[in-house]
Amino acid sequence: MKIPARVLADQLKQIKDSGRFSPRSGALPTWCPGCGYFGIHQGLNECIASLGLPLHEIVTVSGIGCAGRYPFFTNNYGLHTVHGRTLPAATGVKLANPKLTVFAVGGDGDGLAIGGGHLPHIARRNIDVNYLLFDNSIYGLTKGQPSPTSPIGSKTKASPYGTTDRPLNATLMALTYGASFVARLFAGDPKGITEALLEGVRNPGFSIFHIHTSCVTFDKAFKTWTNLKKWTHPLPEDYDPTDIRRAFDEVLRDDFSLGVIYKREY
Amino acid sequence: MSVQRFVVIGNGPAANRAADSLREKAPESKITILSKDPFRSYRPHLLPDFIAGALKEEDLYFRPHAYYKERDIILRLGQSVVNIDFSKRNAILEHKELVPFDGLIVATGGKPRIPEQFRLFEELMLTLKTPTDAKLWIEKLASTEAVLIVGGDLTSLSLTKALLKLGKHVRFILNEDAFWPRPLNDEVYRAVTERLEQRGVEVIHCRRIKRMTRLQENLLEMETDSQTIEAGVLGAFFGLVPDVRFLVKTGLDIDHGVLVNEFLKTRFTDVYAAGDCAQVYHPGLRDYWVSIGYENAAALGRIAALNLLGSRLEVRVEPESILEVGGVKVNTSWWTEF
Amino acid sequence: MPEVDFTVEVCGMAGDGTIAAGGLINEAMSLGGFSVLGFDSYPAEIRGFGRCVTNSRIGSNEIVALGEHAHALISLNDEQSRSRAPFLSEHSLVFFDSNPPTYVQEEKSLLSVAPPGVIIFGIPFSDLAVSAAGSSRGRNLTALGGFAAVTGIEPDFFREVIKNKFKSKGDRVVDINLKSFDAGYEYAMGKFADRLLQLFPKSEDRAGHDKVVLSGNQAIGMAAIDAGLKLYFGYPITPATPIMEYLAKYLPEHGGRVVQMEDEISSIGAVIGSFYAGVRAMTATSGPGFALMTELITHGVMAEIPAVIIDAQRAGPSTGLPTKTEQSDLQAAVFGGPGDSARIVIAPTNVEECYYFTLKSFQLAEKYQTPVIVLTDFFLDNRVENRPLPKTTGEQVACWNIFPGESSKGRYQRYDDTPSGISPRSFPGMEGFNFTATGLEHTEKGTPDYSPENHSKMTEKRHRKIRSALNDLEKPVEFFPNDQLDVGVIGWGSTFGSVLEAVEKSRKNGFKVGALKITSIFPYHSEIIKAFMAKSKFVLIPELNYEGQLANLIAHLDLKPVERLNFVTGAPIPPSAIQNRVEELLEVRAQ
Ligand SMILES: Cc1cc2nc3c(=O)[nH]c(=O)nc-3n(C[C@H](O)[C@H](O)[C@H](O)COP(=O)(O)OP(=O)(O)OC[C@H]3O[C@@H](n4cnc5c(N)ncnc54)[C@H](O)[C@@H]3O)c2cc1C
Ligand SMILES: Cc1ncc(C[n+]2csc(CCOP(=O)(O)OP(=O)(O)O)c2C)c(N)n1
Ligand code: SF4
Ligand SMILES: [Mg+2]
Repeated sequence: MKIPARVLADQLKQIKDSGRFSPRSGALPTWCPGCGYFGIHQGLNECIASLGLPLHEIVTVSGIGCAGRYPFFTNNYGLHTVHGRTLPAATGVKLANPKLTVFAVGGDGDGLAIGGGHLPHIARRNIDVNYLLFDNSIYGLTKGQPSPTSPIGSKTKASPYGTTDRPLNATLMALTYGASFVARLFAGDPKGITEALLEGVRNPGFSIFHIHTSCVTFDKAFKTWTNLKKWTHPLPEDYDPTDIRRAFDEVLRDDFSLGVIYKREY
Repeated sequence: MSVQRFVVIGNGPAANRAADSLREKAPESKITILSKDPFRSYRPHLLPDFIAGALKEEDLYFRPHAYYKERDIILRLGQSVVNIDFSKRNAILEHKELVPFDGLIVATGGKPRIPEQFRLFEELMLTLKTPTDAKLWIEKLASTEAVLIVGGDLTSLSLTKALLKLGKHVRFILNEDAFWPRPLNDEVYRAVTERLEQRGVEVIHCRRIKRMTRLQENLLEMETDSQTIEAGVLGAFFGLVPDVRFLVKTGLDIDHGVLVNEFLKTRFTDVYAAGDCAQVYHPGLRDYWVSIGYENAAALGRIAALNLLGSRLEVRVEPESILEVGGVKVNTSWWTEF
Repeated sequence: MPEVDFTVEVCGMAGDGTIAAGGLINEAMSLGGFSVLGFDSYPAEIRGFGRCVTNSRIGSNEIVALGEHAHALISLNDEQSRSRAPFLSEHSLVFFDSNPPTYVQEEKSLLSVAPPGVIIFGIPFSDLAVSAAGSSRGRNLTALGGFAAVTGIEPDFFREVIKNKFKSKGDRVVDINLKSFDAGYEYAMGKFADRLLQLFPKSEDRAGHDKVVLSGNQAIGMAAIDAGLKLYFGYPITPATPIMEYLAKYLPEHGGRVVQMEDEISSIGAVIGSFYAGVRAMTATSGPGFALMTELITHGVMAEIPAVIIDAQRAGPSTGLPTKTEQSDLQAAVFGGPGDSARIVIAPTNVEECYYFTLKSFQLAEKYQTPVIVLTDFFLDNRVENRPLPKTTGEQVACWNIFPGESSKGRYQRYDDTPSGISPRSFPGMEGFNFTATGLEHTEKGTPDYSPENHSKMTEKRHRKIRSALNDLEKPVEFFPNDQLDVGVIGWGSTFGSVLEAVEKSRKNGFKVGALKITSIFPYHSEIIKAFMAKSKFVLIPELNYEGQLANLIAHLDLKPVERLNFVTGAPIPPSAIQNRVEELLEVRAQ
């Protein structure tokens, strides 16, 4: 049966207005005022609200970090694990009950440093987990040490003379690891996040959303709002996300083009 | 219904009796005492004995902090109310804090009166209202023998006793402004002069004080129409006047004190005044009178509290016990023979 | 000179300059010749919303524990400071901004919860700072000015430490801060002229000038550098991160390097690798990271490779309470990991010991060829004490490696079973002494061997080696020694200061009480501990953990049960709690 779009939109609105599925918890996020995570929160909340799924069938899994606090600010089920073990825990949740919609959220340190060993394997197994990687290129929670995505030369208290290590490119890694859905997004564009999520949630395998975001408290130099706004821009008009070669080309060429980078056709 | 919030401004007998009565009759309510003075409740009539060295400072005070704690009365000392916003029903404190209330009792008492003609010399004169004032007296007296007292209210008489006990040389100027709240007619003037002189006080007769100057740290000079007098300390004793200046801009009716009806209610709902700061309507006299004295204040405090909680107790004073002093009608529970 | 024992707290929001103000108090009072113990608490983690509190206890005698009640509170944010009201002592002094930018609701005001006995000093911090220096940023210093004036602290002490603190930022910044301080000082001298106190008698003793204010973490960092550390590997974790940050700043000047690894597993791996290659290396972590390290720590035990690991304990289990203090990793440090994996565990009790024990840990690791774990905790890491600048002798930094003799060339057995259990050790690059280090059970030569005889023999050898480390490990120290004790209190780690203060006070109350400080947690000096327990009618072990982890370790040394006092409040044990327990024990007995 095909439901007309208007009816669907009406139903959606009703669901939203009922507040029954309001995904936002009563707890006010404890992130610093101005933190990019608020935008991501908004984007994901909108997505959850639009999906119209009962909140008890949604699970948000996280590790440790400012990003890791996320589950406390939602009304669905949450699992706050230890540092870096977000993806293994999410794998367990999804395999245990495939009916659940699972979001994994975490910072760049959580996902690419301590938990970096897990990313290839969840992608390889193509577990139907939607992973939002909050990439602020810094360790927020522990007060501003360099992260695996900090650019060379980053000066922090833990690297007073500047870092010497090359940054990782999460989008490129995800493509390399064979993730079946890869999007690159910006916390300053919650609508873009919602749209990509709505599309990615439908991917029956591992979806990763690499989200550029700003740590206003500890990063005054690199991913500031001003810079991110200047740098980010949409993918080229004729972009085809089903073409993996095109995806690699794009990601090697440009760090900040936003949208669905790759989706596998089944 | 949410908890009733009662605020009492003041920490004298009126305020304390009011808070006690509120607590007794409204056990669930939140009661806050706001007091400008940084110290606990004290007995003002003991201040002269304290100055005389007959008492320790600790003896001035009554009601330990625990008293309030046990009764769940919030006692906030050293925090002045500078304004009241009756539309939002907030008491506004000096440090810019808003304290909301459902019911309010103003019991700010009196402050030493300085008659117009002496305002110029206010800096040079000591008054006596609080333990802090008393300590200043003690400090000044340590380095002087000669004390000059201008005025002559009840307080000055008990202070004089104390000064004499300390062996100080006391001189006294009684003029028409003095001796408040008693009218100073010739009869009283003569009687008091006689008493004072009997006790070894030198009473100086003069009409006008022309000039006052500080010669040295502890030497003042005063020139009257009749003579020039030197003294180490100069005390001004012209009675107490309601301490209500800060209320003028709040919209309360203020004459000398806060005008209240015979039920002690002000023009605002659930806002009452009691004690030395109030000017109470007397339906018989069709005029307002001011209360002076410890017991008076406490009794009024109780009535204000009960009326705030819904009673309708009227303040009853016999017209005969109300005196008129300088155009102000006064009733006092305090009149000790000197 | 009357005895000074004064505790002042500064409380504000992150960004108010709270921690800076507390730090300046510590420095100034140290300069003034007083003993200082300071401790900050703040929600650490995310900074945006946090409340910061600094606590400084200032004394004319040596201060060994935190102040339980504040005698003064300097509020830089009244809403946050409300939480401190219950800790104010009866007549404490409260300093606050009397002219905040906006009106404050009663439920957010400090004074609405301050007990009635406090003496309040309203000072328009922001206004004064703005008019003195053109910006309200220095309002924390204005507050200090008011505090100094009212309590009678020589303002020059503050001026000097302000200059020191800000000189790297240029004369202008120094000037702004001095002006802000002076504005508060002058205002209070005038406004409160009738209420000025002389709480801090001027001391002629200039000892303060030779002292430095150091945190436990700084002391550890300094010691590591003095010990000739070449490589630091770590992964950020509260409360160990400041060690990494300290080293990141200063180690390069000493020819070393800090490498932030991707996790704790790789951190300990790299430490073991560099010690294997003969280079002093270190890592610092806290419980969650320590747990990750345990496999590789036991690898160090098995393959007999040195490692130095600082475990800066925080409250657990799991992520736990990252910014709260606890002593609950003792069992994990001593026993954590697979197999019979005895290793060395030591625990300093104050900042000075943080320094000396870290120095020593490198030597112990080298000589006994095993991971050495230095157990500190949040309270010890972050508290500051003023101490004479640590000085090291050549002996304290000397290498304790034991190399194989030339004569053994050709017959070299890496895991030679000597009487002490210590086998001479070679490094890659030393010709003629090649071997393979392995975590598999191996023979004296290092060849894998699973035979029952070999595993029995080599396990015993490794444990014998650890026991022989007792020769080099710090012995327990008895305070107020006595032949007979009614209560013998045993303390370790950051809690020992509270034990000492409690015992001292109980003794003043006429009780026969003594204290034993244990810093060698494993192996431990059982004979000394046993003797102390035997002569005590009651043995009391206060610890910041629920299970009584030190008590569990040593209780068996005596027949009578040990009394325990366990706190898991996330805060240091107050001395009064220990004192009460001691006196309670004796009263019960007296009945
Ligand atoms: C030296 C001396 C001796 C006396 N001897 C006697 C005697 O022997 N017998 C006798 O009956 N009477 C005596 N009195 C008079 C008696 O003390 C007063 O009549 C009585 O205290 C009045 O009580 P009250 O509660 O109205 O006000 P008070 O006792 O004056 O108390 C006023 C309170 O209001 C507070 N306050 C004022 N303004 C503010 C503000 N803006 N914000 C917050 N709080 C404020 C003050 O801090 C104070 O706590 C004497 C008075 C003095 C000064
Ligand atoms: C095993 C372990 N090691 C270290 C930590 C300390 N730690 C907590 S969060 C974090 C990194 C935070 O950075 P990121 O993952 O980028 O998240 P963000 O705070 O930026 O959102 C670290 C090192 C820990 N909790 N557990
Ligand atoms: S520290 Fe940075 S990442 Fe963490 S909440 Fe604050 S702004 Fe966000
Ligand atoms: Mg991050």
